[in-house]
Amino acid sequence: MSKKKDKAWFALFTVPLLFVFTTVVIIPFIIGIVYSFVKWDGIPANPKVFVGFNNYVQLFQDDRFLASAWNTVEFTVIALIAVNLLGLILSLFVTSKLKVSNAARTMFFMPNLIGGLILGYIWQFIFTDALSYIGDKTGLHSIFFNWLLNPQAALMAMVIVFTWQMAGYTMIIYIAGIQGIPDEMMEAAKVDGANLWHRLTKIVFPLLMPSFTICLFLTLSGAFKIFDVNLSLTKGGPNNATEMFAMNIYNEIFGYSHYGLGQAKAIVFFLVVAAITLTQVIITKKREVQM
Amino acid sequence: MKKVKKVFGLVTAAALFAAVVGCGSSNNSDSSNSPSASGSAPASASASAPAEKLKKITIFQSKVEIADSLEAAAKKYTEETGNEVEVWGAAGDAYMTQLQAKLTSNQGPSLFSVGAGPEADKFKSYLADMSNEPYAANIAPNMELKEDGKTVGVPYGVEGFGMVYNKKLVDQANMKDADSFIKTLQDLKGKGVNPFSLSQEAYFLIGHIINAPFAAQPDPQAFIEKLNKGEVKMADTKEFQEWAKMMEAIKATSKNPMEVKYDTQMGDFGTGKTAIVNQGNWSYGMLKDFGDMSNDVGMAPFPLGGNDKLAVGVASYWVINSKADADEQKAASAFLNWLLTSETGKNTIVNEWKFIPAMTNIEAADLDPLSKDVFEATKSGQTVPWAFIYFPQGIIVNDLAPAAQEFFLKKDMTGAQFLQKLDAAWAKAAK
Repeated sequence: MSKKKDKAWFALFTVPLLFVFTTVVIIPFIIGIVYSFVKWDGIPANPKVFVGFNNYVQLFQDDRFLASAWNTVEFTVIALIAVNLLGLILSLFVTSKLKVSNAARTMFFMPNLIGGLILGYIWQFIFTDALSYIGDKTGLHSIFFNWLLNPQAALMAMVIVFTWQMAGYTMIIYIAGIQGIPDEMMEAAKVDGANLWHRLTKIVFPLLMPSFTICLFLTLSGAFKIFDVNLSLTKGGPNNATEMFAMNIYNEIFGYSHYGLGQAKAIVFFLVVAAITLTQVIITKKREVQM
Repeated sequence: MKKVKKVFGLVTAAALFAAVVGCGSSNNSDSSNSPSASGSAPASASASAPAEKLKKITIFQSKVEIADSLEAAAKKYTEETGNEVEVWGAAGDAYMTQLQAKLTSNQGPSLFSVGAGPEADKFKSYLADMSNEPYAANIAPNMELKEDGKTVGVPYGVEGFGMVYNKKLVDQANMKDADSFIKTLQDLKGKGVNPFSLSQEAYFLIGHIINAPFAAQPDPQAFIEKLNKGEVKMADTKEFQEWAKMMEAIKATSKNPMEVKYDTQMGDFGTGKTAIVNQGNWSYGMLKDFGDMSNDVGMAPFPLGGNDKLAVGVASYWVINSKADADEQKAASAFLNWLLTSETGKNTIVNEWKFIPAMTNIEAADLDPLSKDVFEATKSGQTVPWAFIYFPQGIIVNDLAPAAQEFFLKKDMTGAQFLQKLDAAWAKAAK
């Protein structure tokens, strides 16, 4: 009896989910794979020509795509370090016994509540107008110039905005991890004479590994797939120097109307993101320890 | 455990089945829609009682400048005729993308706008034939949008661009050819004003200004064909070399256009900090906010090779979505007819949108100084065509703009190198 009931419950919760997942993820994904083998400009009335693996061959000869891949890797590596470092520092800061820690926690998390598009526009103003204004006033033109016009600086600008947005979020996850570490253990370590550095490296970090797994996964996939900040902050400019993976695909499909080629890029993109994030999760999972 | 698996399998099958049914039914409704759309077209034409309430239509168009007053006009239309119109917000630069997304998902607007050339060709299958509509007869000669010999689009109006200059700061007589132009820029720089301003938007950065060397070719369209096939190079063409020299002079004397946006560009011009902007008659709307400049502004031709003609053309056409159902098409056509023939509609076009009409039944009234220059040039035939509408689709935004950004950002890049970059960009885009 109860087994039957269990099954009913099981079905009740899974069927809708499965249905939604199938219709909005699986089926479009399969259609997407099919599209990646055709040459098509996106207008239903125009012919879709089957070209086999031609699109996949072509995308590896596309300099702009390869350049955007490199940009994305560069961005992801820097952003990954920046976000997690800052997130960790902030979490350690707000879990220490400070009076302002609650207010600080709210404020650090706040940027994450603002959408990436709006963030991009706000920071666009800061990088273009505010920075050059400061540069004019102080004469320090080597630091305070319009960052968005310099290819390297524009990439850094994106890292800054992304970090500002994501650090608060990872901070929350790290806080949860830190609060899960029993006080007795820390006190015992203190009594035994372990200093702050030892306590961090020998107790806190190993016990934080599950949080690291989550945070690294979130920032890694988030940075790889970044689009909104890219679009609103730099539009991929100057001279395509900050065009990321997702934006390159978007431009291929909507700018050039190469649906098939863009779709092929998207499939490659999916495989790359899946491979990288899975590897990361496997590696960090291995390092998680039990208390 | 086995049973659980079985149930799971069943559930999966059910979900898949539901999904297939879901897709299938939507397909069905599509396929049942389209034959009825084509089938009932003649029937609806016969049943046109004047008092009959028409189907609600939707409008989507590219010009941000007229978005508000179009909505106001739509309200007036509803008041006058009782028919409903919904205007979708203008999308600016993202217009083409959004239009395409909407059309392909069968949620297209009833009435929308396209540009001529490859842009119109791309949407060919969506353009309804309006050859027999009453307003089509009123389009000024050669101003209609045609596909396969049928009239499919009504021009918004005529537009022209050139060098919009401040008469207090520059004399048009000093800009008659490339050399005097360059000298004028240097003189202006010496006086402490920003001589010439482009702005960072793709068309204002490169699209409009690069029209000059193309228009200077004996047959621009044939030249573009040759360029697409790789038979000629910009770097080897005389007019382009001269143009590159002028671009070098602009780069050397003027503020970096990458730091200028359309509104700052017009703001600096309006306040006298910039002497010349490469803009069109549409920009006067922004100048009005800086006080009455009507006696101080004029539009001069870009003096490449001694050119003395403004670039005039039609930027956008109203078109009716042929994939909408017949009633909706009829309603859209009725709105267009109202806009182009009723007093309220004509008044909107001429006085609120400030368009230079390209219809024989609409009189140009009270034109602002820039539009007047364009209108007079049009009447006297002192115009060069808009060659850029025949460029490969999307090339200005996708390929030429990045090349121009590089030119303006790299201090040591010469005009010759710039032309090579443009050639490379073109070769890639024309593929």
